[in-house]
Amino acid sequence: MVGETLQKLLMTAWLLPLLGFVVEIFFGFWSKNPRHSKAAAWTAVGCIGAGFLCSLTALVMWGTASNAFDDGDAEGWMSQQADINHARHPHHEADSSEGAPPHEHEGADHDAEHHGSSEAGADHILTAVATEDDGGPKLERGQTVYSGTIYTLGVFGSLELTLDYYIDSLTLVMFTMVTLIATCIHLFAIGYMSDELTDEYVDHFAHKADGSHVHRPGRFYRFFAFLSLFCFAMLGLVLAGNIFQVFIFWELVGICSFLLIGFYTERKTASDAANKAFIMNRIGDFGFLIGLMVLWTYFGTFRFGDTMVDNEVVDQGLFSMVHRAEDGNFDRDELTGDVLITGTDGHVLTNEDGSNRQIPYYLLVVVGLGIFAGCVGKSAQFPLQTWLPDAMEGPTPVSALVHSATMVAAGVYLAGRFFPMFVQEVLLTIAYTGCITLFLAATIAMVATDIKKVLAYSTISQLGYMMLGIGVFGWAAGLFHLITHAFFKSLMFLCSGSVIHGCHHEQEMPKMGGLLKKMPITAITMLIGVIAISGLAIPGVIAFSGYHSKDAIVASALAFKNANSAHFLLFFIPLLTAGITAFYMFRLWFYTFWGAPRDQHVHDHAHESPWIMTAPLLILSVFAAFCAVGGDHGYLYLLLTGDEPAHLEAGVTAVGDGITLPAIQDIVDEHTTAGTWALVAAVSGTLIAYILYGTNFVNVEEMKRQLAGVHGFLTNKWHFDELYDALFMRPAHKVAAFCAWFDGAVFDRILHGAAKATVVVSKWDRVFDENVVDGFVNLIASATQSVGTSLKVVQTGRLRQYVMFIVLGVVALFAVMFTTFPG
Amino acid sequence: MLHDPDLNSYLFIGAVLFVCGVICMATKRNAIGVLMGVELVLNGANVNFVAFSRYTTLGLDGQIFSLFVIVLAAAEAAVALAIVLNFYNNHLTVDVDRGNKLKG
Amino acid sequence: MNPDVLLSAIIFLPALGALLLAFLDSRAVVQIRAIALGFTVATFVLTLMLWGQFKYAEAGMQMLVVKEWIPTWNVYYRLGVDGISLPLVILTSFVTMLAAVASWSINKQHKGYFILFLLLETGMLGVFLSLDFFLFFVFWEVMLLPMYFLIGVWGGPRREYAAIKFFLYTLIGGVLMLIAMLMFYFNSGGTTDSFNLIELAKAASGTSTTLTTTLSPNLQITAFVLLFIGFAIKLPAFPFHTWLPDAHVEAPTPISMILAGVLLKLGGYGIIRVAFPLCPYGAYYAAYALVGIGVFSIIYGAFAALAQTDFKRLVAYSSVSHMGYVLIGLGVWKIGEATGKTINPDMWLMGINGAMFQMIAHGVSSAGMFFMVGVIYDRVHHRDLNKFGGLMGRMPLYSGLAAGLFFAGLGLPGLCGFIGEIFVVLSAWNYSPTLAIIAASGVILTAGYILWAMQRVYMGTEYKGPHSEDITPINGRELTVAGVLLAFAIILGVFPGILFDMMQSSTGALVDSMQLGYEKAAATLNELQAMR
Repeated sequence: MVGETLQKLLMTAWLLPLLGFVVEIFFGFWSKNPRHSKAAAWTAVGCIGAGFLCSLTALVMWGTASNAFDDGDAEGWMSQQADINHARHPHHEADSSEGAPPHEHEGADHDAEHHGSSEAGADHILTAVATEDDGGPKLERGQTVYSGTIYTLGVFGSLELTLDYYIDSLTLVMFTMVTLIATCIHLFAIGYMSDELTDEYVDHFAHKADGSHVHRPGRFYRFFAFLSLFCFAMLGLVLAGNIFQVFIFWELVGICSFLLIGFYTERKTASDAANKAFIMNRIGDFGFLIGLMVLWTYFGTFRFGDTMVDNEVVDQGLFSMVHRAEDGNFDRDELTGDVLITGTDGHVLTNEDGSNRQIPYYLLVVVGLGIFAGCVGKSAQFPLQTWLPDAMEGPTPVSALVHSATMVAAGVYLAGRFFPMFVQEVLLTIAYTGCITLFLAATIAMVATDIKKVLAYSTISQLGYMMLGIGVFGWAAGLFHLITHAFFKSLMFLCSGSVIHGCHHEQEMPKMGGLLKKMPITAITMLIGVIAISGLAIPGVIAFSGYHSKDAIVASALAFKNANSAHFLLFFIPLLTAGITAFYMFRLWFYTFWGAPRDQHVHDHAHESPWIMTAPLLILSVFAAFCAVGGDHGYLYLLLTGDEPAHLEAGVTAVGDGITLPAIQDIVDEHTTAGTWALVAAVSGTLIAYILYGTNFVNVEEMKRQLAGVHGFLTNKWHFDELYDALFMRPAHKVAAFCAWFDGAVFDRILHGAAKATVVVSKWDRVFDENVVDGFVNLIASATQSVGTSLKVVQTGRLRQYVMFIVLGVVALFAVMFTTFPG
Repeated sequence: MLHDPDLNSYLFIGAVLFVCGVICMATKRNAIGVLMGVELVLNGANVNFVAFSRYTTLGLDGQIFSLFVIVLAAAEAAVALAIVLNFYNNHLTVDVDRGNKLKG
Repeated sequence: MNPDVLLSAIIFLPALGALLLAFLDSRAVVQIRAIALGFTVATFVLTLMLWGQFKYAEAGMQMLVVKEWIPTWNVYYRLGVDGISLPLVILTSFVTMLAAVASWSINKQHKGYFILFLLLETGMLGVFLSLDFFLFFVFWEVMLLPMYFLIGVWGGPRREYAAIKFFLYTLIGGVLMLIAMLMFYFNSGGTTDSFNLIELAKAASGTSTTLTTTLSPNLQITAFVLLFIGFAIKLPAFPFHTWLPDAHVEAPTPISMILAGVLLKLGGYGIIRVAFPLCPYGAYYAAYALVGIGVFSIIYGAFAALAQTDFKRLVAYSSVSHMGYVLIGLGVWKIGEATGKTINPDMWLMGINGAMFQMIAHGVSSAGMFFMVGVIYDRVHHRDLNKFGGLMGRMPLYSGLAAGLFFAGLGLPGLCGFIGEIFVVLSAWNYSPTLAIIAASGVILTAGYILWAMQRVYMGTEYKGPHSEDITPINGRELTVAGVLLAFAIILGVFPGILFDMMQSSTGALVDSMQLGYEKAAATLNELQAMR
């Protein structure tokens, strides 16, 4: 079975880094010479490299088993795609007025006869049909999703929380991308981190109180342990078969990011940045949690896909619980407007009391926004973008792997993965968030001087592009850009790492310049990355990856603008920013590698990096340049979109005065127009950068002085840090101080007051006791005594007198008796 | 005019004896005299006991009671005489007015 | 071992150890430590045997022991174990064992310390295993005195204050429980089962064969409030929590471990074992207050922790915050007014399981955190967060373990804190979206105070406080305790099923019986309504 093999391969690729982590973190225990040995690093490389081979095998298997490359012309596969989409929803067939396409019958058949897993108990396969490997019919596009359960966390009646896997084209492409880039970066890091291979590492950026530098043992193996843990978490995130599991690994990549940003724990800036990153991510995760709660309450499951046993759906996944009608909108209850919750076959599910199961539409918006809030945090989108530039405190390989290629892209990945559940309002929010982010970050990147900061802002900006792409219904475009960006941005980060390594940890571009001759490989590979991200190309002749993917996004935006003219900004701002992107990237390149050296000291020390660092650069530059070759007819695009959400094909029609989402054909129609505009923008940006920084025609310093206001605003990152500090940080600490004060001042004071009151009461009690109670007793005693004293006179001691008393007494008694009881 | 003595006659005799005894106790300063008064009082009571016993349905109770009283009186007299002797040893007199040491 | 003997053996073995210690020469410190540790280990082994004999599928009480104790007042010596008490029993013996190892740092009056320590263990295990209300109460109070002396004699500078505060708070809780206990006794006719927690619970849900009368719905509410306050003090929930920071700060490290690891769980256990089953209607009536208090405790505790400068106080407030989740999980019981049936009973079941898990998880992680604070305190003798720093370089292994345990407290997936928190929060939306959202916001604050504390203690260029020369790497004994705790945090975080399987039958039965209890009370109320 293809699905089972794929699962095993990917599970291996996923778990190997965890094994690596366990080996490496305890490296100090089983190595004789842990501070000088590179064994830990090679273990990590081995694990992730083996993971890459597994992923690649899986991808190739999947590619050959399916008709993924049955591309033909664009029209061709797209119409085929349409057929299959129809076939996947047989009840649509009746409505479909189109003539029955040739594949339809076959598709429907496949849908009907699911081949269950041959192994009893293995929950396997879903929407998909697995075919016999050789000779059997190939898998159709859009039908190759495998999902099932790895193990169960907890079962509560009908509720079940599990760890699942969900394997489709997106999973496979992401796996391959992540493992490939990670392998390259691991190799690079062996060279970059080699100065940690010492018993006494001097950290020039951490100053003690007396001004001396911190001396500490090297932490080479610890770095690789963290990297391995990160790879495990990241791959787990991609493999995750349910949104809860995504959340689990979401947090785990977050903590790995925390550990890696704060790798130089001695530096205050590093630990601050690490905390900031984690806490800002947690703000996003707060939203994520809200989304999860709503999903859990209304759907009772977190699974993406259905779990099948023996052709029966045993556990329904989220994606088949809401059903899209012909016009692309969710089926809704006619009276309440709530979205109906359906079974896999499209029938509405019912509650125990017979009423239809449904979820209010606004809660579906809440779900979408909540999940997206998580994405905002992880992908550093507006308004949670401020952590990513600070995260550059981590070692450069970390920036390349975690903070550009993989983890930050996880937000986009999740938005893509969860796409079938998003409604128009959410998509529009995503689009505008992306749009604001891409512009905001690009403007800051124009003035940043730290080479890594420029790249960081560029990352944020590019992530904004991806979000925008997804938001304007360019699902494929956004994820396409995710992959291409991962290659060229990790390449550029590694190049910057090579520069920093070569210049002895100098990161300020104004101190560089003219490094082209000293570091030719780095400079050339960097140029490839810069061209790729800028989207420069000679159409029809040669185009690097970024051209294709950005083109796709701009085309989607244009199609969206055509469909919803009110949202024209969603097209123009990205277009403008395409120019800005080209400008700041070439500015970076010219600043660093071109012209004359600005700091002779730095220049003298600069040297090209060793082969272990340049080799990954070369590998990545090949991918950065050519991974997207062929654009939307190319292998990458076809692989990636193999299982794209079904409703993309026809678009979504607006409800009332809502948003219309363009169909794929509409986007394809805009490709040429959008591509031209984007290219014009990129070329003008490049030219401006060349004029300002590549030549001496213009005095840049003079310009800065004249535009000091704007420049200051931008260098201060639009004052977001100050704003958040004033808005959130300080109030939080105020509230915290208040709570602590409240505890002491109110509760304890009440308590102490009560205690004191008790003491006062006891004192009064004592007074009362001594005076009133004792007084009474004493009174009785003294009264008795005085009576006795007064009676003692009677006791004369005279016998005869006593007899007299007796006699008188008797007489008196008699008298009384006779008077009282006469007769 | 002599008739059969009835209960009242005996009670009258008892009362006379009692009052004589009491007066004797109250007036005699000699301790022996006082003791004799006591004997009179007791015997007055004895007369009453016997009389009631004879004239009512008490049966022999009264007689037995009076026997007890006589025995008791004897014992009392013995103790009292011992006290008197001791008193005399200490004070060289048997005048009860001199024995006022029990004064409160 | 015969179950009759096993339960009693578990409870009284530590007490036996205490008796044995009493005959030892007080100068024989090594022997005293060894014997005390031996007895805690033996108790732990016995609890593991208990686990071995435990039948997962059975929902009710197992291994029942019933002996006459004070027959005149219908007080019996009743013991038993079910899926709710078993994990807590194991946790108790486990944490106590580790605390015994951590007690090496006690440096005066060893004999008295270990005698009280073992008596405390007897008290705690007794509470978890007793099924007679009176016996429960007796053990509850038995626990109190050793704790008072352990804080008051071996504690920090303000130990007397802290000990008295702890004592008074808990005593008030005990008194309220006593009142409620008498309410039950006299309203159930004073028969032989009037202190029997199982029968009282059955009576409340109308399935008892021996008890015919029970509290009226209105009295149930009163009884529940009394019991709840009694247990909330122990939990501790806002606003009954102020004894906790003081007690923790002043208590010696091992006692803090027990305090946070076990004693706080008694509050949650009391609610789930006594307050809930005995007054189902009262529980439903007060559910919103429960959840509300839980949510408020989370936020309030987290904010208060954020402002602390004393490391141990910070961890203490984190306990207040974390135990809030327990209340939420227990309280998310929603009943449809129209049908009188629980809405989404599986959600509530999940909440209860999550709350139980959170108790165990917190027992592991907070004991670990307190131990980690104790390790550094033993070296530098201060706990001022602003005077630490750079420990990552000075004590790398210690810092690594501490980071792991603090991450467990932070609720990181893969570690124990995550499962409890997230399961509780997920179950909460069904009950009240508003409260659920506020509870979820706790994740931000938790991350804030824990990471900030870690930054100030473990990161940074250099150590800034006094006694810098005394900072030595973690020793083998400390490594064992911390390592074991971290290992458990990971095991529970990755395989939460271990606990859920254990609890499942019992919690499921609890949910069902509570539903019955509510229906019975509702029926009674309807009758009253009709009579008017």
